[in-house]
Amino acid sequence: MIKPWMLGCVAALALGACGKQSEPAATSEPAAERAGDKTLATGLAKNAKLAAAVKAAGLEATLAGPGPYTLIAPSDAAFEKLPAGALDTLMKPEGRAELTAVLTHHILPGTILAADIGKAIDAGGGKALIATIGGGTLTATREGAGILLADAAGTRAMVTAADQQRSNGVIHQVDSVLMPTQ
Amino acid sequence: MVKWILAAGAAALAISTPSLAQQGGGNKGGGGKPDKAERGGGGGGKPVRVEQQGGGKQVRVEQRGGGNQQLRVDRKGGDTLRSADKGERMVARSKGDDRIKGGGKDSVRSAERRSDDRDLRNLDRDDVDGRRLVRFDDDDRGFRGLVGGCPPGLSKNPPFCMPSGQFKKIGSVLPAAFSSRMLDGPFQQWYRDDDRFFYRNDGDYIYRVNRDGGLIDALFPLADRDFSYYPIGMNYPSEFDQYNVPYQYRSFYPEGGAYDYRYGDGAIYQVNPSTNAIQSIVALLAGDLGVGQPMPLNYGAYNVPIDYRDRYYDTPDAMYRYNDGYIYRADPKTQLITAVIDAIV
Repeated sequence: MIKPWMLGCVAALALGACGKQSEPAATSEPAAERAGDKTLATGLAKNAKLAAAVKAAGLEATLAGPGPYTLIAPSDAAFEKLPAGALDTLMKPEGRAELTAVLTHHILPGTILAADIGKAIDAGGGKALIATIGGGTLTATREGAGILLADAAGTRAMVTAADQQRSNGVIHQVDSVLMPTQ
Repeated sequence: MVKWILAAGAAALAISTPSLAQQGGGNKGGGGKPDKAERGGGGGGKPVRVEQQGGGKQVRVEQRGGGNQQLRVDRKGGDTLRSADKGERMVARSKGDDRIKGGGKDSVRSAERRSDDRDLRNLDRDDVDGRRLVRFDDDDRGFRGLVGGCPPGLSKNPPFCMPSGQFKKIGSVLPAAFSSRMLDGPFQQWYRDDDRFFYRNDGDYIYRVNRDGGLIDALFPLADRDFSYYPIGMNYPSEFDQYNVPYQYRSFYPEGGAYDYRYGDGAIYQVNPSTNAIQSIVALLAGDLGVGQPMPLNYGAYNVPIDYRDRYYDTPDAMYRYNDGYIYRADPKTQLITAVIDAIV
């Protein structure tokens, strides 16, 4: 039986996609120099699953580059809340496009501190819409003293540790993985 | 809102993992002849539901968890397409004659609906060709990944996922109909006319035209599809294999080094010059802001980089937002983006 991902690979094979292993990549020297040492890429010591996903999607150089970006970083426990096998599927070569889409739903253009989100929430009458770099929107609200981020499907991710400032942006730790779909 | 994308990879997530169903747990730039001179330069996931309807015409996969985690992929065939609506996608990524000229939010949404109508037509055609569609329901900006099952700039018609016939225009004279179609939105900053080249667009592609002779020198796919990235490992489409990094990033990702760099629909890719394989995504670009456009509603949060906050902070008379290497100023009253204030990368 032909499975959908196989058909996906049929299209991709024409482009040499499926099964091909990418070579290790680093960001360019000028980009690395501009980004500095304490980048978003090196700030994921406590986010092993996210770091692995970033590597699998080939986004390490982005997080080691000039940015700046705001990284919404799901904890390892957050990834464990996904349906069994989902992350493994995304981590396969044929899942890279979807993995990239999921990860870019956690990257925001520019440096957005928790206080900036809070101000936007207040100005927005209790909620703020925040663009992701991939073309999605997160909805931010206050939850007690903290900030809650939600995707379009209503998945709620609480910011558990905010404002980890890096040389090329800022990291907010969250307790759920947000999805770019409903 | 309903989003349609072709099944290719998206369905892989939903369907290639049988365990999911069983567990219940849980722009574009640069084609044409290489120019040597420029070349140098909710946790817990509870129910997972799989539905198949209409003799395989429709497949719905839902993953829900903890009451708030949901990933749904619908794949349909036949004539069951519903009109797409970008809903809260407020970004004015206008193209060609659909360009928004200082309009308000309504005009933005209107333009986006037009854009989606165009996408839907394409998808309808794909469906007629017997290809499979994946629908993402989305009240928000939607997930439009591999539209037509292909990365940006590649044909959704036979032969599938090959560069569009548009690239054949390279080397030809720019059609007069496009001669006045200047780049708009962020692209007017990213690709600037110079003594050697000028840039125009037809809504689907950016044309780089050589002033000497007026021939199309390069073609950039202007796919503008959310969440649409070339996955690492695939070969960068040879017909777009030209150095086309947006102006503001060229010092970081120059020509002539150990790697090639290519821009395509929201990302700058590092490409192995020997194999043409994409090795890495080195930068992500949003493409959301442009002078003359309304500030998208999802840019309410101040996002200016730390080092620039002492100079560019919101006041009753001006608001500042960062995007893709630039800091933009907008009028808080009209929400119109009035100027590019600073280039910071």
